Amino acid sequence: MKRAFPSPALAAAAVTLMASLGLMAQSLAPLNEKGVAVGALAPEALNKARPKPAFDITGTWLHGGGANNPWQFAPPPGAKLTSSAQIQFDAAKKAAAEGKAYHDDIGECWPAGLPIIMTRVWPIAMIQKPTVIYMISGFMNSVRIIYLDGRKHTDPDIVIPSFNGESIGHWENDTLVVDTTAFVDHHHWIDTGVPASDQLHVVERMKLINQGATLEIEYSMTDPKNWEGEWKWTKRWRRVDDQEITEAQCLPDLNQNLLSTGPKQNVR
Amino acid sequence: MRVLLIVSMCAAGFWMGAAPAQAHHSMAGFDRKQTVVLTGTVQEFRWENPHSSIDIDVADKDGKVVTWKIEMTAPGYLVRQGFKRTSVKKGDVATVTANPLISGDPGALFVSIRLPDGQVLPQPAASKDKAK
Repeated sequence: MKRAFPSPALAAAAVTLMASLGLMAQSLAPLNEKGVAVGALAPEALNKARPKPAFDITGTWLHGGGANNPWQFAPPPGAKLTSSAQIQFDAAKKAAAEGKAYHDDIGECWPAGLPIIMTRVWPIAMIQKPTVIYMISGFMNSVRIIYLDGRKHTDPDIVIPSFNGESIGHWENDTLVVDTTAFVDHHHWIDTGVPASDQLHVVERMKLINQGATLEIEYSMTDPKNWEGEWKWTKRWRRVDDQEITEAQCLPDLNQNLLSTGPKQNVR
Repeated sequence: MRVLLIVSMCAAGFWMGAAPAQAHHSMAGFDRKQTVVLTGTVQEFRWENPHSSIDIDVADKDGKVVTWKIEMTAPGYLVRQGFKRTSVKKGDVATVTANPLISGDPGALFVSIRLPDGQVLPQPAASKDKAK
């Protein structure tokens, strides 16, 4: 019979690789009592008895806007930036005075990332299951996943940094509390000239108000590489039952037709 | 026929309020207090996410033809403003009103368009939702 591996050494290496892959898998989904990883959409996870959630966020939502509900996450009054972030902030103000954008990475098709992906003027489809919420933005179809299955944050030595981070939610009475970490440390901004780092920590307290017609989220954010203390904002979304999200890719040729993303209009 | 005008925000205030299209990126490069009125020949109308856009050839006062790139909002929002994929066609002689780039490059942020049959889009009662 033909051997699958030409040498015992290669076979041992393959076993080691498979074992390490298995370890990764176990770290990214919670284990059942048999030590087997169970993904959020596995029937075993979905069918497990759990307390009834306070609300079902399933629907299509659009940030409401308005004078008391800006889409920007601007530094709150009295905010103190770190010295490195202050340099960026001042440079952004200088660019604005010259009529230019500052490090407009979204304009170059970098993902918006949390938190501003939530407040772009594009609808977000939200789908809630007992174990997980999927949020798919109409803007570049950015996917955000909030796990509700009781898992902890992934080991920092294993977690894969991302623009929307790793979100873990739990219920506190009528509120869904979502804790998000594991962000990338580049091309990610809270607001114009205010960078986000890999130390960004976002806590969202989500509620449905106004008989379920309004989603309200209180944001608390820390990022010791970029600012001191905790910044807070409250934002609101409205249901847009008459809207759908569509495929919206930011493709390499897009900016050929958008002079405003060019070097004359941008400081990078 | 092909005329480039720069008018004040007050003169074009109606359309400024009706259709301040936004994009997926920063709008800092546009002068939102100015509008240009561009009459010319459409070269291309791109019906695509996250932006639509129009290329239109416009002759300046010396007769030199310049291609202006007009940045628009997403098609999903344009539909709410009365647009269809076929509303603007290559070869149409049309008049575009838009906010120009501060840099002076031939690019602008779409406000409205008058089509060859006289129809103006967006329609006055269009949705105020915008994409960015």
